[in-house]
Amino acid sequence: MSTEPPLARAYDNLRPIVLQRLLDMRATLDPSFGRIDEATARAQISAVLEHLGNFLATGDLGSHRAFLQTFLAMRAAEAQGPAAVLAMLVAIGDTAAQVAQDELAGSIDGAELTLLLTRVTATTARAVNDLVAEELARRVGQWNDLAARERGKQ
Amino acid sequence: MTQTASQQGIRVAGDTNVGKVRTTNEDSMIVDPVRGLYVVLDGMGGANAGDVASQTARDAIREFVMQRRTTMEPRALLEAAIQHASATVFNAAQESRERHGMGTTVVACIVVDLKRAVVAHVGDSRAYLLRNGRVQMLTRDHTIVEELVDKGLLSAEDAERHPYKNVLSRNLGAKPETKVDVVDVELRPGDRLMLCSDGLYGYASAEAIQYLLGSGDAPEHVARDLIDLALRGGGGDNVTTIVIEAPQPPPSSTEVVRTTGAMKWWQRRERFLHIAKDRGLTKNPIVRGLEPDEALELIASSLCQAIFHDLEKSTGVNVWTFAQNIAGGWFERSGDWAPLRALMDILATAARAVVDDIGVTDAKLGFLLSIAVSRTLVVAELAIGGLLAERLNRVDAELIKVHAAMQETLDNVPDTSQETSLEDTGDRFIDNPTVPFLRPDRPVTSPGVSAELIKAIEQTITIARSRTSQRAELVKQILSSLETIAIDATGNFASAVLAARELYGVRTVDDTGIMPLFDALDQARIITAASVHQITATDAMRAKVLRALSSANQRLVAATTGLVLEAVAPYSERLREVQAKTSEMRDQVAAYERKRADLERKYATTIDHSQPWEKRGTTEW
Repeated sequence: MSTEPPLARAYDNLRPIVLQRLLDMRATLDPSFGRIDEATARAQISAVLEHLGNFLATGDLGSHRAFLQTFLAMRAAEAQGPAAVLAMLVAIGDTAAQVAQDELAGSIDGAELTLLLTRVTATTARAVNDLVAEELARRVGQWNDLAARERGKQ
Repeated sequence: MTQTASQQGIRVAGDTNVGKVRTTNEDSMIVDPVRGLYVVLDGMGGANAGDVASQTARDAIREFVMQRRTTMEPRALLEAAIQHASATVFNAAQESRERHGMGTTVVACIVVDLKRAVVAHVGDSRAYLLRNGRVQMLTRDHTIVEELVDKGLLSAEDAERHPYKNVLSRNLGAKPETKVDVVDVELRPGDRLMLCSDGLYGYASAEAIQYLLGSGDAPEHVARDLIDLALRGGGGDNVTTIVIEAPQPPPSSTEVVRTTGAMKWWQRRERFLHIAKDRGLTKNPIVRGLEPDEALELIASSLCQAIFHDLEKSTGVNVWTFAQNIAGGWFERSGDWAPLRALMDILATAARAVVDDIGVTDAKLGFLLSIAVSRTLVVAELAIGGLLAERLNRVDAELIKVHAAMQETLDNVPDTSQETSLEDTGDRFIDNPTVPFLRPDRPVTSPGVSAELIKAIEQTITIARSRTSQRAELVKQILSSLETIAIDATGNFASAVLAARELYGVRTVDDTGIMPLFDALDQARIITAASVHQITATDAMRAKVLRALSSANQRLVAATTGLVLEAVAPYSERLREVQAKTSEMRDQVAAYERKRADLERKYATTIDHSQPWEKRGTTEW
């Protein structure tokens, strides 16, 4: 999903607007964002938006998965479940697409960027589900091992 | 008699009726879309002179406009045409005794273009404007009573009951010249102008007129319905209406998807099923045991229908329900993720193929549907993600139970046997990552690193180093790590983990220990991204370098985060233990409080309040 430079550039230009819109709605995006100060929330959301820009520019699914895995781990350490993380990432993608649609209305770049961001959101949602499913399989295996050991001892 | 016409997308219809009482129709009208001229006239005068007056004025206005419309500005043209008509009717009235005193009202409109119209009137024929569902009167009746109200000599309430409320103060034909009121109207998409004689508003309520005008029906239906309304209200006078509608605004993207998009999607239902079948839907383990047609009907057809309803209503609830049912049912049967993933991929491919088909014949609609259908697929992933997360939580809870049971066993065995027990069990639960999704050693597929790319990466890092402040040792160290990770051809996390361990060193788990490291990681990322633009290479090579370095940065951040989270994990365990203990102690305190309260109630009746408190024998102090 490698992107032509004009679209990546168009996205970069829109990033401050997307960030501001997300900051305005950060409490609904994720309750933990509502509790932290604006500077911290800004830094965290910026990291996601920055990564999104890299993904648009490089189309590297491996890096995208790696980023999502780290993000899921960090949010899990802050007691946020994967379903909430998925909803948040989708909300960020949707907001970016909405801003592209609003700000670049009528231009070809605007239309293509909106479509691209919508597809990236779908790819992200799928990648998160893959990671959750892998984690689930690993934990089921872990539980089976431990349960078998417990049974063996009895 | 209905006349309908259209002018540059403007739709117009006029209708007139003699009414239920009169025998002749003294009203006249012009519906002339070629010249954008629309006029309603209401004649008056005995011995059939009324219809002569309105027709004479009508013909005079039409002829005047035809002759002068290219040389005069619309506002002046309309005013002059009406003045000319007034003089013509006056002269005609002078020629015959029967027609002496005849006259007519007029309300006329020239639609200049899609954005502008001019309305002029004399007498009590009216013009209304409907905009955004609200009706506004553009004219003010030229009656004696209205003029008294204007001058403040009569109140609006008294005017309603005044015996001369219908006596005109101005008309065409009474004098050679008359005063014409003219207004400019700025038209907006969807606006409706309505011209009418007093036979309409005299026999129909303002609310009913507003309702019909704002109904959204075609102008010809509205004009006819307005006439019917006046007739149902008694039809005591001739009645004439002209309805002029400015083109509707272009439908929004949402409306297009809801109407045409949903319809086109549904029309390609068979194509959707066909592609789903071709892609192997009927062989997916989830539909095992079903006949192919049943499988298609149950899965593909249901999703196709769900997407149709969601497109039609701009929601996601149908696809959400579909995905939840399919995934929920499959997980209940202890199904794996892979078949469900494959099934969703088949359905997504079929959906995209259908949208592409639509795009071939209508690119814009195809584009809008691409976005809408992609969103429905995101909704499906959200629904499935919710179920996966729920299962993960359940398994985690079970793991904690097993862990607690194991811990209890370890705590209860004597010291001498503990070593044997640990040896027997091998890795303990705590030895595994306790924070979900934390596997820094997970290999990542790598396309390999060419010599040319290595050179470009080295060049980038050299530039980045030169741009880094002398004192920023940590950033320089990170730049070296990034170079190592980026040119590591194995593509796994080993080099990132090694680099992270080196950077993490003996840091403490607090802000002063961790934050400078993450700040430096961030700075290194920014510097490398900026340095990529300065290397001598092709755009394609720059993109590869950017990709390699951002991937390296992510791996390094992931590995460092992993170390931090692992370092925090034991504290989390301890915190949970302390929280459990605190909760237990709170329960104990509450139990003692309850006991104390019970005792106080029990002995309250035996307290002698006349005694000093130390002698009362209570717990009060």
